[in-house]
Amino acid sequence: MSTGSVSRLDKRFDSPQASLADLADGASVMVGGFAGHGAPESLLRALIESGAVNLTVICHGAGNPDPARVGINSLVEAGRVKKIISPLPFDPRAGGPVKDRWEAGDLELEVHPFGVLTERLRAGGAGIGGFFMPAGAGTRFGEGHEVREINGRPHVFQTSLKADFALLRASTADTLGNLVYAGTQRNWNPIMAMAARVAIFEVDEIVEAGQLDPERVITPAIFVQRLVLSAG
Amino acid sequence: MPGAILDSASMALRASREIQGGEAVAIGPGLPALIPGLLPADSAAWFLAESGAVGYHSGEPRTVVDAGGADASILPGGAVVGAGDVAAMLAGGHVGLAIVEASQVSANGDFVHWTTAETPGLYAPGFAVDMASGAQRLVAAMPLASSAPRPNLLNQCNLPVDGIGCVSLVVTDVGVLRVTDTGLQIAEVAPGWTSDDISHLAGSPLPVSGSVREMSFDPPALDWPNKVYATAAEAIGDVPDGAVVNVDGFGGPGGMAHYLMTALRDHGAKGLTMISNTAGIARVARFGVPEGLTAIDHTILVENGQVAKAIASYPVSPSISRPTAFERAYQEGESDLEVSPQGTLAERLRSGGAGVGAFFTPTAVGTLLGEGKEVREIDGRPYVLEQRILADFCIIRGHKADTLGNMVYRGTSRNFNPVMATAARVTIVEVDEIVEPGELDPEEIVTPGLYVDRIVLRPPDFSPYLDA
Repeated sequence: MSTGSVSRLDKRFDSPQASLADLADGASVMVGGFAGHGAPESLLRALIESGAVNLTVICHGAGNPDPARVGINSLVEAGRVKKIISPLPFDPRAGGPVKDRWEAGDLELEVHPFGVLTERLRAGGAGIGGFFMPAGAGTRFGEGHEVREINGRPHVFQTSLKADFALLRASTADTLGNLVYAGTQRNWNPIMAMAARVAIFEVDEIVEAGQLDPERVITPAIFVQRLVLSAG
Repeated sequence: MPGAILDSASMALRASREIQGGEAVAIGPGLPALIPGLLPADSAAWFLAESGAVGYHSGEPRTVVDAGGADASILPGGAVVGAGDVAAMLAGGHVGLAIVEASQVSANGDFVHWTTAETPGLYAPGFAVDMASGAQRLVAAMPLASSAPRPNLLNQCNLPVDGIGCVSLVVTDVGVLRVTDTGLQIAEVAPGWTSDDISHLAGSPLPVSGSVREMSFDPPALDWPNKVYATAAEAIGDVPDGAVVNVDGFGGPGGMAHYLMTALRDHGAKGLTMISNTAGIARVARFGVPEGLTAIDHTILVENGQVAKAIASYPVSPSISRPTAFERAYQEGESDLEVSPQGTLAERLRSGGAGVGAFFTPTAVGTLLGEGKEVREIDGRPYVLEQRILADFCIIRGHKADTLGNMVYRGTSRNFNPVMATAARVTIVEVDEIVEPGELDPEEIVTPGLYVDRIVLRPPDFSPYLDA
């Protein structure tokens, strides 16, 4: 009987800083979270510390309702972001640094309807090059896109979207990177994990492989490259 | 002032009366976000927030938030999903009603979301465009008498629109207007207000529908539809000749909807288009079927002359000496065949369920299966265009369902089932156990109930073999 050991890449990093040390200037970075919920706050703090600039950030929105906590806004305020791709880059009533910088011409915004952005990421993660969907047909969100009538309805052509990195949040990982989430912390995290070349997850707990019920794993390990414990 | 101007809660309550029992309701930010908290927690509808909450109510700070980031709790019979899943529910047409806050509505039902009015040059649509495009019905809530910039009921919107021809009803703070083929009509008035008052606020005379009523603010009386059928025969009884049917099963005899398949055979609908991974290979491949027994699989439909066409990724037997019933039917010209690579088949179904009309995949470029299809080079790589699949019916096997249709699977009998469930107008599931709402953990639900129309309990002694 063979006793040869099978070595597996250890995905655990000692610190949020170490996990994104190779995130360079000009990188495209997806950031999970929804209204500050399920956001990778330790990783965002580490990214601000890292000093990387000219970032393209793909996210649901820039705001964290609690100004004491870190969010995309903090990254924008620190002058690190060149462009944001998002369905809701800022709160239209509250404004904030994203709106201010956009108005000053210092920040580029690419805005898509929510479901167009999720579908572009999903396509990026699933190997689809582009697709036709009805959302936005006839509105400014369809302008400049090929429109084709399919099944009797105008559909707008969209391309897939991927990013160099994804900074993401889950509750528990096993050492191989299989993941579960707590409640709506899930939000954009699973779909962004699929669409990233390097998906880094901040988690509350890392357990041994086999301790998560395979039926309940939401993000399988093949979509996860790096793990780090949350600093809270 | 003719009467009191309605407050946001009254407008939200009136809008909620458009909800129909058992449907999923997408709730936009602002005024609509009040609705789940105003209705009884046991209201028979799933409120949907793009945070990933399906079936929620206002709640204590824990792990769930609503579309505005406010604390919420998942109700019994609800589920937690991801952002992409919520978007697919909406885009795929699985959401009955969306309620949005508008700042302009036009005579043909175009609308401008409030976020657009705040910043017309700087877009922040959030979920609004998706709701406009995906929901079956859309109700716009928009003040007319309070501080709103008027005119906001217009022949044509003068701000960039977020949806075209999608609004069916406008709930205002002084009355309710219906969007008809001939434009806006006043259908209801708030207490103390008349249709003339509303026309005055609108800035132009608006036609009045036959019987203008006073607005009601009673919460709607909602009931969950009964999805549980006594027998498989009753559950598939209306499958007509010529129907397109998703049928589950992977390769072997396990994990299939044997009970529903058998009922479909006995029902006898002819001319079916059958979409399945194989067109029935378990009978000949056997895959562990005990000696002397014959597995129930798609073959029983083929042998009964019901399958006019199969769309499958693996339609032939692994052995040339043991052809499947489908191969024989195909060779004799009784059945037609469309072959899709397995991943393409899954993606075509996923597209059908998620509102994608067609997509470019690199799979099969340059092969026989790519022939005759549009090829497009994207980022230096050729892709072929594939069309969505949307079936009339779907029959699949789950492990457990609650009475609202939320489902979990067991092991790899999951395979094509979750994606097939989304890609049919009527999804019928066969399960080993039916439980009450709340008995499945919202985090573990794989197929949310809004995808499931009919549930049947597989008899515990139902054999997967024809002759057992």
